[in-house]
Amino acid sequence: MAQVVAGASSDVDVVEMPATSGTIDTDVHPYVNTIDDLIPHLSARWVQYIKQSGFQSPSGNQYPKGFEMAARRDAWPPSGGRPGSDPDFAREQLLDTWGMRYGVLNPLYGQEKVHNDDFSIALASALNEWQKATWLDSDERWRGSIAVPTQLPEAAADEIRRVAKDPRFVQVILLVRSEAPYGKRHYHPIFEAACDVGLPVGIHFGGWGNHPITAAGWPSYYIEDHTGMPQAFEAQVLSLVAEGVFEKFRDLRVVLIEGGFAWLPPLMWRFDKNFKGLREEVPWLRRLPSEYILEHFRMTTQPVDEPPNPEHLLQIFDMIGRDDFLMFATDYPHWDFDAPDRAFPSIVRGELRDKIMSGNAELFYDFERA
Amino acid sequence: MLNYFMTLSVHDIGAADDFKVGRPTRVEVDGRGVVVVNTGLSFYAVRDVCPHQGARLSKGRCKGRVTANTVGAQPEIRVDDLVLQCAWHGWSFDLVTGHALTDPDRARVRTYQVHLDAGRVLLDLG
Repeated sequence: MAQVVAGASSDVDVVEMPATSGTIDTDVHPYVNTIDDLIPHLSARWVQYIKQSGFQSPSGNQYPKGFEMAARRDAWPPSGGRPGSDPDFAREQLLDTWGMRYGVLNPLYGQEKVHNDDFSIALASALNEWQKATWLDSDERWRGSIAVPTQLPEAAADEIRRVAKDPRFVQVILLVRSEAPYGKRHYHPIFEAACDVGLPVGIHFGGWGNHPITAAGWPSYYIEDHTGMPQAFEAQVLSLVAEGVFEKFRDLRVVLIEGGFAWLPPLMWRFDKNFKGLREEVPWLRRLPSEYILEHFRMTTQPVDEPPNPEHLLQIFDMIGRDDFLMFATDYPHWDFDAPDRAFPSIVRGELRDKIMSGNAELFYDFERA
Repeated sequence: MLNYFMTLSVHDIGAADDFKVGRPTRVEVDGRGVVVVNTGLSFYAVRDVCPHQGARLSKGRCKGRVTANTVGAQPEIRVDDLVLQCAWHGWSFDLVTGHALTDPDRARVRTYQVHLDAGRVLLDLG
């Protein structure tokens, strides 16, 4: 029988996990409470701009989430801030409760949707400095992701090269719903910079690409927004491979974050099949598309796909074909959080479970940079 | 010439001039369908069945192999290196080896030897 142990300061009953697990969470979200959090990291020019304009935060067209701030109801910190804004509370509620070794921070601020280019660049830099001062300095288990003004690839590349000097940053973070597919040459400076500094690129759920969020137009409901996100992930995978990004940047590694994973095998099958007839359109590809995907991509697990028959999950793993492909994530503090001890059915066990929970992330990320 | 006809597997399938350059041509020998291609430099023959879903490769096209040395570069079409492309799903095959250009280890069409002798095309089904 599983033993229940008390979480550090949590009211969650945590089923005892193997001592060797040392879970690594590859998707944790730190949030600024207000623009005031970024003020210390902005130049006088932008501080004055913010005060003059009354700027509060980047705005965008989003669907109301199922929960306020899309957060677990118990993730509002007692300090009074927003979920994900209090690193001490997050440490207790996440890292300590689950005995985690590392938590990879993925800030979702929205600097990409600020139309003033210089302000967008400044906000990205401020966000990275805020990550350092507020989160990375607070606990050595946090690792950062470099936020960039994605729509300005040259400036993004500059920011990557600047921030990567701090070894606590382990990846570059982009959002999956972009203005254009990331394989296009416009974005290549980002990948070039990532390769230059030896960091992978994470592509995360969400985004503000100014396009309808499905290929069929605007849906009505958040459930459609949330469930349909793999459409955007598929588009990015297709683009990055077809445009030859992995021939041009052979060291580039990409992790798809919060996009699910069960959709990948049929995409690979379809991509490979069509490549056999349409190869000459993309003659720079020297291998089957699936070979590029399996070599250069990884995926995080949350939200875990939950087939009614748990055995089917193992079949999906088998169809993906690599046991080093998936990396565990909680998506803390969001409402669709995956609990480390319960997200996977018990039939996911042994070495495979250990790899998913920590080993694969250890291989993928260079946590020892710091 | 006599040497070829010494084996039952060798068949005279017509005059070389009967095979238009670059056009896949189906011949039937001993109940077997074979597609013959005259590239202008050589003759090639492969089984007239696509290993993918069974289309007749003779209904397809001969095309120059498309290559690109760098990502995004203007592709080069090598007109001196023809491949045979199936009419249904576009799978393309190397005329020399029979291997599909993509996934060559899994997809291959049977090839046959073709010889020219005194203006006649000799197909060896051996």
